[in-house]
Amino acid sequence: MHNVVKSELKSGALVERAETLAVVAVSHHGRLRVPSFASNVFRIAARELRDSARSRWFLLYTAAFVALGLGVSYVSAASSGGSGLSGFGRTTAGLINLVILVVPLMALSAGAGSIASDRERGMLAYMLAQPITRLELLLGKFTGLAAVLLTSICLGFGVCAAILAWKGSRADPVALASLVGLTFLLAMSMLGTGLLISVATRKSSVAMGVAIFSWLTLVFVSDLGLMAGAVALRMRIENLFALSLVNPMQVFKMWALVSSDTSLDVLGPAGLYATDTWGAGVTWIFACVMVLWIILPLTAAAAIFSRRSPI
Amino acid sequence: MRYGGIIIAAIGLTCWPQVVFGSLDISQLISAAKAGDTVLVPAGVYRGEIQIDKPLKLIGVGRPTLDGGGNGDIITVTAPDVEIRGFRICGTGIDLDKENCAIRVNAARVTIVDNILDDVLFGIDLKESPDSVIRGNHIGGKVLDVARRGDGLRLWRADRTIVEDNEIHNGRDAILWYSTDVIVRNNRSHDGRYGFHLMFSNGVTIEKNDLFDNSVGVYLMYSSKLKLIGNRMLRNRGPSGYGLGLKETDDFLVQGNIFVGNCVGIYIDGSPFATPDSGRITENTFSANDTGVEFLPAVKGNHLWSNSFIDNFEQIAILGRGELTGNEFDRDERGNFWSDYPGYDRDGDGVGEANYESRLLFENLTAREPSLRLFMFSPIHQAVEFIARAVPAVRPEPKFTDYYPLIEPPIEHGAELGSSTSLVMVALSAVLLSIAAAVLGIVFFSPIRDAMRERRAVAVT
Repeated sequence: MHNVVKSELKSGALVERAETLAVVAVSHHGRLRVPSFASNVFRIAARELRDSARSRWFLLYTAAFVALGLGVSYVSAASSGGSGLSGFGRTTAGLINLVILVVPLMALSAGAGSIASDRERGMLAYMLAQPITRLELLLGKFTGLAAVLLTSICLGFGVCAAILAWKGSRADPVALASLVGLTFLLAMSMLGTGLLISVATRKSSVAMGVAIFSWLTLVFVSDLGLMAGAVALRMRIENLFALSLVNPMQVFKMWALVSSDTSLDVLGPAGLYATDTWGAGVTWIFACVMVLWIILPLTAAAAIFSRRSPI
Repeated sequence: MRYGGIIIAAIGLTCWPQVVFGSLDISQLISAAKAGDTVLVPAGVYRGEIQIDKPLKLIGVGRPTLDGGGNGDIITVTAPDVEIRGFRICGTGIDLDKENCAIRVNAARVTIVDNILDDVLFGIDLKESPDSVIRGNHIGGKVLDVARRGDGLRLWRADRTIVEDNEIHNGRDAILWYSTDVIVRNNRSHDGRYGFHLMFSNGVTIEKNDLFDNSVGVYLMYSSKLKLIGNRMLRNRGPSGYGLGLKETDDFLVQGNIFVGNCVGIYIDGSPFATPDSGRITENTFSANDTGVEFLPAVKGNHLWSNSFIDNFEQIAILGRGELTGNEFDRDERGNFWSDYPGYDRDGDGVGEANYESRLLFENLTAREPSLRLFMFSPIHQAVEFIARAVPAVRPEPKFTDYYPLIEPPIEHGAELGSSTSLVMVALSAVLLSIAAAVLGIVFFSPIRDAMRERRAVAVT
């Protein structure tokens, strides 16, 4: 293990990592105080935030998200020619699509990469040698990465809102604000899933592979399967709707539609069924599913992590 | 002298604005008046039913209230040439069998102007009343389930009537039965079932009305020689949410209307019916509807040209499977503007060189299996279209072809709906960007803080 740490200490970034942690330990020692749960979580989060914000994946994904958001808002504002007819139309639809494609990929790979790569490089054992518990470490990682994702999302949507304001689009700012919130929820659910993948795998390459596969499944394969199932099995619309609620991407999409004042009857018979059956209460269903998608993977990750060797 | 018999309700004037009970006074005034008189009613609240059985003008001064108290009808007119003006009329019964009504007319040439009707089952009900005028009234229905509501306005054999500048809401329909050559102009009809509903009414002109948040904006049934010009149909939604519905209607001109945010912009069912090739739809704008124009499979004889189809989720749909070969999408070598047209205009004549063909696989799938619309706006929707382009074998045949697609929208309708830079949007942008800046600031200035902390830690040890 020492060899691994040594070999990694050669790279500049890791030297800095190790130093930071050492500083944390020394300063605790200096104050002669057992650090609290919250302060430990915060320290890990701050470190994770700092490391990730400087990493290449963050820059890459953020740049991609900002560029695509810019494109979507610019094109949609231009296509309606300032005609003011766009309403919901293309902007929000385009943004929903963009979020479903990019944000889960970002969150899954960030989560999957974090603990697995620490373990692979021996950093995990080193960190757990400090006076912190595994739960603190996990929550710290989650919080730090969530802050990174929040930054990325805010940048993307901030630029998008600026373009829409500049172009005089009639897109509703409240709808856009709620889209930002929902995007963050989706990101957190996928981040939790990513961390689950991360604690369950030994190698970071495997974790990354599983993360990409999960993304593909959630974004494309499950929908395609459900479409095929709906046609082949002549599925009843209530069952189709219930099954689609399992997928956080679908829940995000429907919630975003509702929060932008678009009736779910846009989505055909299944949406009409949802509106008729639950009315405005359908939002609570979406909220429950989303919260479950954040809590359950994180709990599972904590359970697995507590039983695993740090090496 | 025409106004020789003006009667002033002295009793009302002396105790104004106190409440006057019973129908005693107004009915007494009416029975005291002679044909052709003008009866002025001062402000106050009057209860009970009123019968007008001779030609006279009943005019409210200071907007008196006629309160039905939630029972029966309020005004019944049985004589021609009556005018009712300046009242607030509220509280009819809710009995659909008896069709409780605020102003019931069974005579010709009535004028109903500037009244406010509130909490009424039926608002104004004209029967056998040709040449009437309904102008500037506000008709608010009862807040009931739509099946228990009455019609805000009903015309039955009221030819050549003018309906203008009225606001009608929370009712069932504003409906015209067997009434020819009616003009419906500058009205607002919203939050009802059908904004305006024509049954067997020919030669009607419907222009410059606003029809929004109804189930259907305007539903034309079994009528002919109709003109719909310059109306706005917005957000008419629900299981059958149409901006305009056409059922077995002939010889119609639909021109210069705006259809925004409806489930379906225009729904065409068996129209034109008896007169071939008599459907004309031109210079309309369809934007942000779920479906721009929806045809039933056997529909033919419609001409659509110089319309703008902008960002409807589905521009043209056929319910079930079928072809639109009996309809034409151009006239005089001018087609329509399609926001999803990928072609270009080489010779600069405003018409694209390639045809516009609608052959989207996802639309084809949802036409056969509507429940699949649940997957709209998902990446899978785009993936399906991508597959259709990449693998031509699965690409559906075109639903229809516009041979002369326009490059620019022929009519710019958006301006009147307004477009402005929203300060809230600017603020939102600022908030989001500053959150991002704050986090990044903490991250990139932390080396300095770390260095300081390190120095302190070293000092302690």
